[in-house]
Amino acid sequence: MTSRHGDAPGTRRPDASMTLITEFYRRPLDPGYALAAERRAAGGSAPRRRFGAAGMLALALVLGLGTTAATAALRHPVGQVSEARRVLESQITERGDEAAELQQQAMDLNKEIAAMQADVLGAASGPLAESLAAGAVEAGSVAVEGAGLRVVLTDAPSDDPDAEDPDNRVQDIDLQVLVNGLWGAGAEAIAINGQRLTSTTAIRSAGSAVLVDLVALSSPYTVEAIGDSVTMQTELARSSTGQLLATLRTTYGIGVDMSSARRLSLPGAGLTALRSASVPEDARLPEPAQDAPSGSVSSGSAVVTGSAGRAGGGGR
Amino acid sequence: MIAVIGLVVGVVAGLLLQPTVPLELQPYLPIAVVAALDALFGGLRAMLDGIFDDRVFLTSFLSNVVVAALIVFLGDQLGVGTQLSTAVVVVLGIRIFSNAASIRRHLFKA
Repeated sequence: MTSRHGDAPGTRRPDASMTLITEFYRRPLDPGYALAAERRAAGGSAPRRRFGAAGMLALALVLGLGTTAATAALRHPVGQVSEARRVLESQITERGDEAAELQQQAMDLNKEIAAMQADVLGAASGPLAESLAAGAVEAGSVAVEGAGLRVVLTDAPSDDPDAEDPDNRVQDIDLQVLVNGLWGAGAEAIAINGQRLTSTTAIRSAGSAVLVDLVALSSPYTVEAIGDSVTMQTELARSSTGQLLATLRTTYGIGVDMSSARRLSLPGAGLTALRSASVPEDARLPEPAQDAPSGSVSSGSAVVTGSAGRAGGGGR
Repeated sequence: MIAVIGLVVGVVAGLLLQPTVPLELQPYLPIAVVAALDALFGGLRAMLDGIFDDRVFLTSFLSNVVVAALIVFLGDQLGVGTQLSTAVVVVLGIRIFSNAASIRRHLFKA
Protein backbone atom coordinates (compact mmCIF):
# COMPACT_ATOMS: atom_id res chain seq x y z
CA MET A 1 0.00 0.00 0.00
CA THR A 2 2.59 2.51 1.09
CA SER A 3 4.63 2.05 -2.04
CA ARG A 4 1.66 3.29 -3.99
CA HIS A 5 1.81 6.56 -2.14
CA GLY A 6 5.35 7.01 -3.24
CA ASP A 7 6.74 6.98 0.29
CA ALA A 8 10.17 5.64 0.77
CA PRO A 9 9.88 2.42 2.75
CA GLY A 10 11.54 2.72 6.10
CA THR A 11 11.02 6.44 6.70
CA ARG A 12 8.42 6.76 9.38
CA ARG A 13 5.85 9.43 8.67
CA PRO A 14 4.92 11.79 11.50
CA ASP A 15 1.22 11.16 11.07
CA ALA A 16 1.52 7.40 10.86
CA SER A 17 -1.16 6.93 13.43
CA MET A 18 -3.65 8.75 11.22
CA THR A 19 -3.03 6.66 8.13
CA LEU A 20 -6.67 5.79 7.74
CA ILE A 21 -7.92 9.35 7.71
CA THR A 22 -5.01 10.66 5.64
CA GLU A 23 -5.66 7.90 3.15
CA PHE A 24 -9.21 8.99 2.82
CA TYR A 25 -8.43 12.66 2.42
CA ARG A 26 -5.54 12.23 0.05
CA ARG A 27 -6.91 9.53 -2.15
CA PRO A 28 -10.67 9.35 -2.11
CA LEU A 29 -10.71 7.84 -5.59
CA ASP A 30 -10.54 4.10 -5.86
CA PRO A 31 -6.88 3.30 -6.66
CA GLY A 32 -8.18 0.72 -9.11
CA TYR A 33 -8.92 3.46 -11.61
CA ALA A 34 -5.31 4.61 -11.62
CA LEU A 35 -4.08 1.02 -11.89
CA ALA A 36 -6.39 0.30 -14.82
CA ALA A 37 -5.27 3.49 -16.52
CA GLU A 38 -1.65 2.52 -16.01
CA ARG A 39 -2.33 -0.90 -17.48
CA ARG A 40 -4.10 0.65 -20.43
CA ALA A 41 -1.19 3.00 -20.97
CA ALA A 42 1.13 0.02 -20.89
CA GLY A 43 -0.92 -1.47 -23.72
CA GLY A 44 -2.21 -4.64 -22.10
CA SER A 45 -5.95 -5.03 -21.66
CA ALA A 46 -5.95 -8.70 -20.82
CA PRO A 47 -8.06 -8.62 -17.65
CA ARG A 48 -10.98 -7.05 -19.48
CA ARG A 49 -11.56 -10.21 -21.50
CA ARG A 50 -12.23 -12.15 -18.36
CA PHE A 51 -15.41 -10.20 -17.77
CA GLY A 52 -17.03 -9.84 -21.18
CA ALA A 53 -19.06 -6.90 -22.40
CA ALA A 54 -22.39 -8.69 -22.00
CA GLY A 55 -21.60 -9.68 -18.44
CA MET A 56 -20.68 -6.13 -17.57
CA LEU A 57 -23.85 -4.80 -19.13
CA ALA A 58 -25.91 -7.29 -17.17
CA LEU A 59 -24.11 -6.44 -13.94
CA ALA A 60 -24.61 -2.72 -14.57
CA LEU A 61 -28.29 -3.34 -15.27
CA VAL A 62 -28.75 -5.29 -12.07
CA LEU A 63 -26.88 -2.71 -10.01
CA GLY A 64 -28.90 0.17 -11.46
CA LEU A 65 -32.14 -1.68 -10.94
CA GLY A 66 -31.22 -2.67 -7.41
CA THR A 67 -30.14 0.82 -6.41
CA THR A 68 -33.29 2.36 -7.84
CA ALA A 69 -35.43 -0.20 -6.09
CA ALA A 70 -33.61 0.42 -2.82
CA THR A 71 -34.02 4.18 -3.15
CA ALA A 72 -37.67 3.81 -4.01
CA ALA A 73 -38.21 1.48 -1.06
CA LEU A 74 -36.48 3.97 1.23
CA ARG A 75 -38.61 6.83 0.01
CA HIS A 76 -41.91 5.09 0.71
CA PRO A 77 -41.66 3.45 4.14
CA VAL A 78 -43.63 6.31 5.69
CA GLY A 79 -46.45 5.59 3.29
CA GLN A 80 -46.38 1.89 4.09
CA VAL A 81 -46.44 2.56 7.81
CA SER A 82 -49.34 4.95 7.54
CA GLU A 83 -51.16 2.45 5.36
CA ALA A 84 -50.70 -0.30 7.92
CA ARG A 85 -51.90 2.12 10.55
CA ARG A 86 -54.98 2.92 8.53
CA VAL A 87 -55.77 -0.75 8.10
CA LEU A 88 -55.44 -1.28 11.84
CA GLU A 89 -57.60 1.73 12.57
CA SER A 90 -60.31 0.53 10.24
CA GLN A 91 -60.13 -2.89 11.89
CA ILE A 92 -60.53 -1.31 15.30
CA THR A 93 -63.60 0.67 14.29
CA GLU A 94 -65.00 -2.35 12.48
CA ARG A 95 -64.64 -4.56 15.53
CA GLY A 96 -65.99 -1.77 17.74
CA ASP A 97 -69.09 -1.50 15.57
CA GLU A 98 -69.48 -5.25 15.64
CA ALA A 99 -69.24 -5.26 19.43
CA ALA A 100 -71.75 -2.42 19.70
CA GLU A 101 -74.11 -4.30 17.42
CA LEU A 102 -73.82 -7.46 19.49
CA GLN A 103 -74.30 -5.43 22.65
CA GLN A 104 -77.47 -3.94 21.16
CA GLN A 105 -78.64 -7.41 20.21
CA ALA A 106 -78.03 -8.62 23.74
CA MET A 107 -79.97 -5.65 25.12
CA ASP A 108 -82.87 -6.39 22.80
CA LEU A 109 -82.92 -10.03 23.80
CA ASN A 110 -82.75 -9.01 27.42
CA LYS A 111 -85.74 -6.75 26.92
CA GLU A 112 -87.56 -9.62 25.28
CA ILE A 113 -86.75 -11.84 28.24
CA ALA A 114 -87.99 -9.17 30.62
CA ALA A 115 -91.21 -8.82 28.65
CA MET A 116 -91.76 -12.58 28.67
CA GLN A 117 -91.06 -12.67 32.37
CA ALA A 118 -93.58 -9.91 32.95
CA ASP A 119 -96.07 -11.85 30.84
CA VAL A 120 -95.66 -14.96 32.88
CA LEU A 121 -95.70 -13.15 36.19
CA GLY A 122 -98.51 -10.87 35.05
CA ALA A 123 -101.18 -12.97 36.68
CA ALA A 124 -99.27 -13.38 39.88
CA SER A 125 -98.38 -9.72 40.39
CA GLY A 126 -98.05 -8.28 43.82
CA PRO A 127 -95.25 -9.38 46.11
CA LEU A 128 -93.43 -11.59 43.58
CA ALA A 129 -93.26 -8.91 40.87
CA GLU A 130 -92.32 -6.32 43.46
CA SER A 131 -89.43 -8.33 44.81
CA LEU A 132 -88.33 -9.05 41.26
CA ALA A 133 -88.28 -5.33 40.45
CA ALA A 134 -86.37 -4.56 43.62
CA GLY A 135 -83.92 -7.33 42.79
CA ALA A 136 -83.43 -5.97 39.29
CA VAL A 137 -82.58 -2.53 40.65
CA GLU A 138 -80.18 -4.01 43.15
CA ALA A 139 -78.57 -6.21 40.51
CA GLY A 140 -78.22 -3.21 38.25
CA SER A 141 -79.86 -4.91 35.30
CA VAL A 142 -82.46 -2.17 34.71
CA ALA A 143 -82.06 1.55 34.19
CA VAL A 144 -82.84 3.69 37.20
CA GLU A 145 -83.47 7.37 37.81
CA GLY A 146 -83.35 9.47 40.89
CA ALA A 147 -81.60 12.13 42.86
CA GLY A 148 -78.02 11.55 43.84
CA LEU A 149 -74.42 12.59 43.93
CA ARG A 150 -72.07 13.19 41.05
CA VAL A 151 -68.29 13.00 41.56
CA VAL A 152 -66.02 13.93 38.67
CA LEU A 153 -62.35 12.88 38.83
CA THR A 154 -60.03 14.48 36.28
CA ASP A 155 -56.40 13.63 35.52
CA ALA A 156 -53.97 16.28 36.65
CA PRO A 157 -53.15 18.71 33.82
CA SER A 158 -49.81 17.94 32.22
CA ASP A 159 -47.67 19.95 29.81
CA ASP A 160 -45.90 16.99 28.32
CA PRO A 161 -48.18 14.08 27.51
CA ASP A 162 -45.19 11.80 26.82
CA ALA A 163 -43.52 12.16 30.19
CA GLU A 164 -46.69 11.86 32.15
CA ASP A 165 -46.39 10.60 35.69
CA PRO A 166 -48.88 7.79 36.31
CA ASP A 167 -49.26 9.13 39.83
CA ASN A 168 -50.91 12.23 38.39
CA ARG A 169 -53.57 10.21 36.64
CA VAL A 170 -56.73 8.80 38.10
CA GLN A 171 -56.00 5.14 38.72
CA ASP A 172 -58.22 2.14 39.11
CA ILE A 173 -57.55 2.02 42.85
CA ASP A 174 -58.85 5.61 43.24
CA LEU A 175 -62.10 4.71 41.52
CA GLN A 176 -62.36 1.48 43.51
CA VAL A 177 -61.98 3.34 46.80
CA LEU A 178 -64.44 6.03 45.74
CA VAL A 179 -67.04 3.50 44.58
CA ASN A 180 -66.70 1.42 47.73
CA GLY A 181 -67.01 4.60 49.77
CA LEU A 182 -70.20 5.50 47.93
CA TRP A 183 -71.67 2.02 48.47
CA GLY A 184 -70.74 2.33 52.11
CA ALA A 185 -72.36 5.77 52.28
CA GLY A 186 -75.66 4.34 51.17
CA ALA A 187 -75.67 4.61 47.39
CA GLU A 188 -78.35 2.53 45.74
CA ALA A 189 -76.94 2.49 42.22
CA ILE A 190 -73.62 3.67 40.78
CA ALA A 191 -72.38 4.25 37.25
CA ILE A 192 -68.99 5.41 36.00
CA ASN A 193 -69.06 7.26 32.67
CA GLY A 194 -72.37 5.57 31.91
CA GLN A 195 -71.14 2.09 32.86
CA ARG A 196 -73.49 0.73 35.47
CA LEU A 197 -71.78 -1.05 38.34
CA THR A 198 -73.13 -4.37 39.49
CA SER A 199 -71.98 -6.79 42.11
CA THR A 200 -69.74 -8.49 39.55
CA THR A 201 -68.24 -5.37 37.99
CA ALA A 202 -64.48 -5.15 38.01
CA ILE A 203 -62.58 -1.85 38.01
CA ARG A 204 -59.07 -2.48 36.80
CA SER A 205 -56.37 -0.73 34.86
CA ALA A 206 -54.80 -1.80 31.60
CA GLY A 207 -51.87 0.39 30.69
CA SER A 208 -52.97 3.98 31.04
CA ALA A 209 -56.66 3.20 30.69
CA VAL A 210 -59.07 2.26 33.43
CA LEU A 211 -61.31 -0.66 32.57
CA VAL A 212 -64.77 -0.77 34.09
CA ASP A 213 -66.41 -4.05 33.20
CA LEU A 214 -63.79 -4.52 30.44
CA VAL A 215 -64.78 -1.20 28.83
CA ALA A 216 -61.87 1.24 28.63
CA LEU A 217 -62.70 4.66 30.05
CA SER A 218 -60.62 7.80 30.11
CA SER A 219 -60.50 11.00 32.11
CA PRO A 220 -62.70 12.71 33.19
CA TYR A 221 -64.37 9.95 35.17
CA THR A 222 -67.91 10.84 36.17
CA VAL A 223 -69.12 8.68 39.04
CA GLU A 224 -72.85 8.99 39.50
CA ALA A 225 -74.51 7.51 42.56
CA ILE A 226 -78.21 7.49 43.26
CA GLY A 227 -79.17 7.94 46.88
CA ASP A 228 -79.51 10.63 49.49
CA SER A 229 -76.83 13.09 48.37
CA VAL A 230 -76.58 14.92 51.69
CA THR A 231 -76.06 11.72 53.67
CA MET A 232 -73.65 10.36 51.10
CA GLN A 233 -71.60 13.55 51.09
CA THR A 234 -71.25 13.65 54.86
CA GLU A 235 -70.55 9.93 55.07
CA LEU A 236 -67.89 10.23 52.36
CA ALA A 237 -66.26 13.19 54.09
CA ARG A 238 -66.12 11.28 57.35
CA SER A 239 -64.72 8.08 55.91
CA SER A 240 -61.25 7.34 54.61
CA THR A 241 -62.55 7.94 51.10
CA GLY A 242 -62.78 11.63 51.89
CA GLN A 243 -59.16 11.61 52.98
CA LEU A 244 -58.15 9.90 49.77
CA LEU A 245 -60.02 12.46 47.66
CA ALA A 246 -58.37 15.29 49.58
CA THR A 247 -54.94 13.71 49.06
CA LEU A 248 -55.62 13.26 45.34
CA ARG A 249 -56.56 16.90 45.07
CA THR A 250 -53.76 18.44 47.11
CA THR A 251 -50.82 16.12 46.44
CA TYR A 252 -51.37 14.94 42.89
CA GLY A 253 -53.42 17.77 41.43
CA ILE A 254 -56.22 15.45 40.37
CA GLY A 255 -59.47 17.31 39.88
CA VAL A 256 -62.19 16.22 42.32
CA ASP A 257 -65.55 17.82 41.75
CA MET A 258 -68.50 16.75 43.87
CA SER A 259 -72.01 17.98 43.22
CA SER A 260 -75.48 16.79 44.07
CA ALA A 261 -77.89 16.26 41.23
CA ARG A 262 -81.64 16.23 41.46
CA ARG A 263 -82.13 13.84 38.62
CA LEU A 264 -79.63 11.23 37.55
CA SER A 265 -80.49 8.50 35.09
CA LEU A 266 -78.25 5.47 35.15
CA PRO A 267 -78.42 2.87 32.39
CA GLY A 268 -78.95 -0.78 33.12
CA ALA A 269 -75.97 -3.06 32.97
CA GLY A 270 -77.83 -5.20 30.50
CA LEU A 271 -77.04 -8.85 30.62
CA THR A 272 -77.25 -10.78 33.80
CA ALA A 273 -75.93 -14.29 33.74
CA LEU A 274 -77.60 -17.03 35.69
CA ARG A 275 -74.82 -18.41 37.84
CA SER A 276 -76.63 -20.50 40.37
CA ALA A 277 -80.20 -21.36 41.19
CA SER A 278 -81.89 -23.49 43.77
CA VAL A 279 -85.37 -24.58 44.74
CA PRO A 280 -86.72 -22.58 47.66
CA GLU A 281 -87.61 -24.55 50.76
CA ASP A 282 -91.33 -23.84 50.57
CA ALA A 283 -91.63 -24.18 46.83
CA ARG A 284 -94.14 -26.60 45.48
CA LEU A 285 -93.35 -27.75 41.99
CA PRO A 286 -96.30 -26.87 39.77
CA GLU A 287 -97.89 -29.45 37.54
CA PRO A 288 -96.55 -28.74 34.04
CA ALA A 289 -99.88 -29.14 32.28
CA GLN A 290 -102.20 -26.94 34.32
CA ASP A 291 -99.73 -24.16 35.07
CA ALA A 292 -98.57 -23.21 31.60
CA PRO A 293 -100.37 -20.23 30.06
CA SER A 294 -98.94 -21.06 26.66
CA GLY A 295 -96.72 -23.78 25.35
CA SER A 296 -93.73 -21.67 24.41
CA VAL A 297 -93.10 -20.12 27.80
CA SER A 298 -94.06 -23.07 29.96
CA SER A 299 -90.49 -23.82 30.84
CA GLY A 300 -89.95 -20.22 31.88
CA SER A 301 -92.69 -20.38 34.47
CA ALA A 302 -91.32 -23.45 36.16
CA VAL A 303 -88.91 -22.94 39.01
CA VAL A 304 -85.43 -23.55 37.79
CA THR A 305 -83.84 -26.45 39.52
CA GLY A 306 -80.19 -27.24 39.96
CA SER A 307 -77.34 -24.94 39.12
CA ALA A 308 -76.83 -23.32 35.78
CA GLY A 309 -73.60 -21.58 36.48
CA ARG A 310 -71.57 -19.79 33.87
CA ALA A 311 -74.47 -19.26 31.49
CA GLY A 312 -73.13 -16.60 29.17
CA GLY A 313 -71.18 -13.54 30.20
CA GLY A 314 -68.35 -15.76 31.35
CA GLY A 315 -65.85 -12.99 30.88
CA ARG A 316 -66.78 -11.14 34.02
CA MET B 1 -19.17 3.37 -21.35
CA ILE B 2 -21.03 0.10 -21.39
CA ALA B 3 -21.31 0.17 -17.61
CA VAL B 4 -22.81 3.66 -17.61
CA ILE B 5 -25.32 2.73 -20.30
CA GLY B 6 -26.28 -0.42 -18.41
CA LEU B 7 -26.62 1.52 -15.17
CA VAL B 8 -28.82 4.18 -16.76
CA VAL B 9 -31.02 1.52 -18.39
CA GLY B 10 -31.24 -0.26 -15.04
CA VAL B 11 -32.27 2.91 -13.24
CA VAL B 12 -34.92 3.69 -15.85
CA ALA B 13 -36.19 0.11 -15.66
CA GLY B 14 -36.29 0.38 -11.87
CA LEU B 15 -38.30 3.59 -12.07
CA LEU B 16 -40.74 2.08 -14.53
CA LEU B 17 -41.12 -1.40 -13.04
CA GLN B 18 -41.13 -0.30 -9.38
CA PRO B 19 -39.79 -3.61 -8.09
CA THR B 20 -40.32 -4.33 -4.40
CA VAL B 21 -37.37 -5.08 -2.18
CA PRO B 22 -37.71 -8.17 0.02
CA LEU B 23 -38.46 -7.24 3.61
CA GLU B 24 -35.37 -9.06 4.93
CA LEU B 25 -33.11 -6.72 2.93
CA GLN B 26 -34.78 -3.53 4.17
CA PRO B 27 -32.32 -2.80 7.04
CA TYR B 28 -29.37 -2.81 4.63
CA LEU B 29 -30.85 -0.43 2.08
CA PRO B 30 -29.77 2.94 3.52
CA ILE B 31 -26.12 1.96 3.81
CA ALA B 32 -26.19 0.22 0.44
CA VAL B 33 -27.54 3.35 -1.21
CA VAL B 34 -24.86 5.49 0.43
CA ALA B 35 -22.22 3.04 -0.79
CA ALA B 36 -23.69 3.17 -4.28
CA LEU B 37 -23.55 6.97 -4.15
CA ASP B 38 -19.88 6.76 -3.19
CA ALA B 39 -19.17 4.49 -6.16
CA LEU B 40 -21.11 6.82 -8.46
CA PHE B 41 -19.16 9.87 -7.36
CA GLY B 42 -15.92 7.95 -7.67
CA GLY B 43 -16.85 6.93 -11.21
CA LEU B 44 -17.78 10.48 -12.13
CA ARG B 45 -14.51 11.80 -10.82
CA ALA B 46 -12.55 9.13 -12.65
CA MET B 47 -14.41 10.04 -15.80
CA LEU B 48 -13.42 13.69 -15.40
CA ASP B 49 -9.89 12.63 -14.59
CA GLY B 50 -9.92 10.66 -17.81
CA ILE B 51 -9.11 7.36 -16.19
CA PHE B 52 -12.63 5.89 -16.07
CA ASP B 53 -12.77 2.13 -16.39
CA ASP B 54 -15.95 0.08 -16.72
CA ARG B 55 -14.60 -2.89 -14.90
CA VAL B 56 -13.23 -0.95 -11.96
CA PHE B 57 -16.39 1.09 -11.74
CA LEU B 58 -18.68 -1.95 -11.64
CA THR B 59 -16.49 -3.91 -9.25
CA SER B 60 -16.19 -0.99 -6.87
CA PHE B 61 -19.93 -0.40 -7.09
CA LEU B 62 -20.78 -4.02 -6.35
CA SER B 63 -18.20 -4.51 -3.64
CA ASN B 64 -19.12 -1.22 -1.97
CA VAL B 65 -22.77 -2.20 -1.73
CA VAL B 66 -22.04 -5.75 -0.64
CA VAL B 67 -19.44 -4.78 1.94
CA ALA B 68 -21.65 -2.03 3.35
CA ALA B 69 -24.58 -4.42 3.70
CA LEU B 70 -22.26 -7.02 5.19
CA ILE B 71 -20.96 -4.56 7.79
CA VAL B 72 -24.48 -3.64 8.82
CA PHE B 73 -25.42 -7.32 8.99
CA LEU B 74 -22.37 -8.11 11.12
CA GLY B 75 -23.06 -5.11 13.33
CA ASP B 76 -26.63 -6.23 13.82
CA GLN B 77 -25.45 -9.69 14.80
CA LEU B 78 -22.96 -8.20 17.27
CA GLY B 79 -25.40 -5.66 18.65
CA VAL B 80 -23.48 -2.64 17.38
CA GLY B 81 -25.45 -2.20 14.18
CA THR B 82 -26.18 1.50 14.58
CA GLN B 83 -22.63 2.37 15.58
CA LEU B 84 -21.15 0.47 12.63
CA SER B 85 -23.68 2.09 10.32
CA THR B 86 -22.54 5.47 11.60
CA ALA B 87 -18.91 4.53 10.99
CA VAL B 88 -19.66 3.44 7.43
CA VAL B 89 -21.65 6.59 6.75
CA VAL B 90 -18.83 8.77 8.08
CA VAL B 91 -16.18 7.05 5.97
CA LEU B 92 -18.26 7.01 2.81
CA GLY B 93 -19.42 10.55 3.49
CA ILE B 94 -15.82 11.79 3.63
CA ARG B 95 -15.11 10.05 0.35
CA ILE B 96 -18.21 11.43 -1.31
CA PHE B 97 -17.34 14.92 -0.12
CA SER B 98 -13.77 14.89 -1.36
CA ASN B 99 -14.79 13.31 -4.66
CA ALA B 100 -17.49 15.93 -5.05
CA ALA B 101 -14.90 18.65 -4.31
CA SER B 102 -12.62 17.18 -6.95
CA ILE B 103 -15.49 17.08 -9.45
CA ARG B 104 -16.27 20.68 -8.63
CA ARG B 105 -12.64 21.66 -9.31
CA HIS B 106 -12.84 19.87 -12.65
CA LEU B 107 -16.08 21.49 -13.71
CA PHE B 108 -15.65 25.03 -12.46
CA LYS B 109 -11.88 25.18 -12.30
CA ALA B 110 -12.19 26.56 -8.80
